Amino acid sequence: MNYVPGLGIAKGMALTLRRFFAPKATIQYPETAPDQAVRFRGRLQLLYDELGNVKCETCFQCAQACPVECIDMGGHDTKNRFYTHWGPAETYAERREESALRRSGRPVPDPEYIHFDPIDMVAAEEILEARDYDPRPMVGLLEEIQRAYGYLPVAVIKHVSHVTGAPYALVYGTATYYRHLRFEKPGRTVAVCRCTGCLIAGGGRIAKDLAAALHTEIGQSPAGKVALEELPAHIPGAASPLVTLNGKPQPNVTAAGAAAWGRSLAGKTVA
Amino acid sequence: MSFATRTWTRMSIPERLLAIFVPLAVVLAIATVLAIVLLGPPLLDFLGANLPLVRFLVAVTAILLMTVPTAFVIIYMELKVIARMNLRIGPNRVGPWGAAMSLIHGFKVLSKEDFAPTGADLPVFTLAPVVTYMASVMTLLVIPFAPGLFGQDLNIGVLFFFAMGGMSVLGLLMAGWSSFNKYSLLGGLRSAAQIISYEIPLTLSAVGVVILAGTMSMNHIVLSQSGSALDWFIFKQPLAALIFFIAATAEANRTPFDMTEADSELVAGFATEYSGMRFGFFFFAEYVNVFIVSALITTLFFGGWTAPFNWPWPYNLNGLDLSNGTLWIGIAFLVFVLGTDVLALLVRFFGGRSWNMPSAMVLGFIFTLVAVVGVVGLAGFIAFDWIQGLFWFMVKTYAFVFVFVWMRGTLPRVRVDQLMSFAWKWLLPASLLNLFVTAAAVVLLSQ
Repeated sequence: MNYVPGLGIAKGMALTLRRFFAPKATIQYPETAPDQAVRFRGRLQLLYDELGNVKCETCFQCAQACPVECIDMGGHDTKNRFYTHWGPAETYAERREESALRRSGRPVPDPEYIHFDPIDMVAAEEILEARDYDPRPMVGLLEEIQRAYGYLPVAVIKHVSHVTGAPYALVYGTATYYRHLRFEKPGRTVAVCRCTGCLIAGGGRIAKDLAAALHTEIGQSPAGKVALEELPAHIPGAASPLVTLNGKPQPNVTAAGAAAWGRSLAGKTVA
Repeated sequence: MSFATRTWTRMSIPERLLAIFVPLAVVLAIATVLAIVLLGPPLLDFLGANLPLVRFLVAVTAILLMTVPTAFVIIYMELKVIARMNLRIGPNRVGPWGAAMSLIHGFKVLSKEDFAPTGADLPVFTLAPVVTYMASVMTLLVIPFAPGLFGQDLNIGVLFFFAMGGMSVLGLLMAGWSSFNKYSLLGGLRSAAQIISYEIPLTLSAVGVVILAGTMSMNHIVLSQSGSALDWFIFKQPLAALIFFIAATAEANRTPFDMTEADSELVAGFATEYSGMRFGFFFFAEYVNVFIVSALITTLFFGGWTAPFNWPWPYNLNGLDLSNGTLWIGIAFLVFVLGTDVLALLVRFFGGRSWNMPSAMVLGFIFTLVAVVGVVGLAGFIAFDWIQGLFWFMVKTYAFVFVFVWMRGTLPRVRVDQLMSFAWKWLLPASLLNLFVTAAAVVLLSQ
């Protein structure tokens, strides 16, 4: 006979009495803060503005601060000029490629990671060595590197951050702040002079024709294409209207032939 | 414009209130003093001539005043204990550890709209909560809280108790009938059926105790159990105690026999149409009933106010020499000042730098107060037998209150047919058997 009268009641009473003395898990929130890590920032989330654009400015500060390097960031910068990536070292991409390779048996090219192609670090190392790896004169350092490479490769910036100890966000921020520091290889730059003499000689029409031919506007310089710019000042002794290609005056370009010249220039591939 | 009106218009509201109430207070104080001086001696003579009447009035007033804090304490206890059993913390916002929760409940109930349904029999509707509550309060009159601390020592105490307890059924029926609502009426009838059914085994199981004690006076029942815990009637009448406990649970409408209310099924049964403080009376009566039933179990089966072991010290300190009043006041003052300072310094010493002197002084004062109350209470416990008796009575009674709350936190409600068949098929035969065996044993042993 398994049924004992009152046994169920006794069991229930015993259970509630145990519960009565059991410790309670309630956290009295406003008085007691829950135990969490100092650098805890809540759920990781990308926010969008009212127009549907990502509010992230790719400043990398979150990835920089992440204690376990769980933030893997990559994307184009806000001016859509270049691709950059920050994450658990560069091995992330390699690992992904290795994994894909293992599965498919052939390498899978990833065009987004061109910037992480191996770059000769010797020149950068020499500059850094001469400066004793001091990150404080950052602008001078970056200018020197740009003189050596012609531009600032992202891989070199990361290298600078690694060896000097300056946060990547700092180096990146400095490099993007100054206009004369660039991340892309210099393409062809067409500059139009807009001084009074050149304007009288047809400089305005030349600028308009070139902008139409090159599919761009003055001052905008998309990566890898022909950039159209404005000369800061007339080169002394040059004839009006003055147009320069990579800094060299092009006396053959006239107001009538500017559109054709521009079209021929746009058709050529970037050197 | 006279001087008086000009002054009045220039006063702010608090100043006007002061201007009204300060003279009023002065007049009242003078009137009180005059009344005491002029009417005091004849009044005292009159009261002295009618001492039983005075005693009755004082007892009724004291018990009526006692029930409200008792209900508050039990409501708070229920909230807190059931919360802990549900692995919660329970109320902790109002007052220290949420202790003022039931007080706030009371104020909430008071502030609610008080309405009666159309077609209700208004006099009966109004009287029903009063009858229920008074039935609960009247039963407390015969319960001996401590030696010398009881309302009336009736020689038919137990009978009076059950009679008054039976009157609460009347209140429930009145409530159910006068609400002009068939569900309320059904709830009232249902609770009447339950309480009347359980009244029979309840009374029959108490008869065994009455036979053993040879009296119906509550005081004498307690006295016949004096000695140690082994003299309690629980050991002579275990079956009766069990039946009494079960039936008392049903009498007090407690889980698992709370068919009367059954909050989740019946929408409070007979009390459906009640709101505000009228409902509050039913609510309070329920918790007062819990206290009463626990007190009765303590009195009948667990020795009432007697200590569970032979108390070693004789009560030889009854009364202190308080003739030198100034000296005692001085000593009390000195104890408080010195205690506050010393404890404040101790708080500073052990509590670290976070305690500044004012807060340490406040804490020291509280510690001193606790210590003094503890010492005085302990001295009173040793010196006065009624403090001791009250202590044991309250400890036992609240232990049973805890058991009732504990049961509410554990057991599910029974079905109404289970309820009835249990009362008539099990409890009634068992209590009759107990009565028969007890009577037979008494007859055989006395021969």
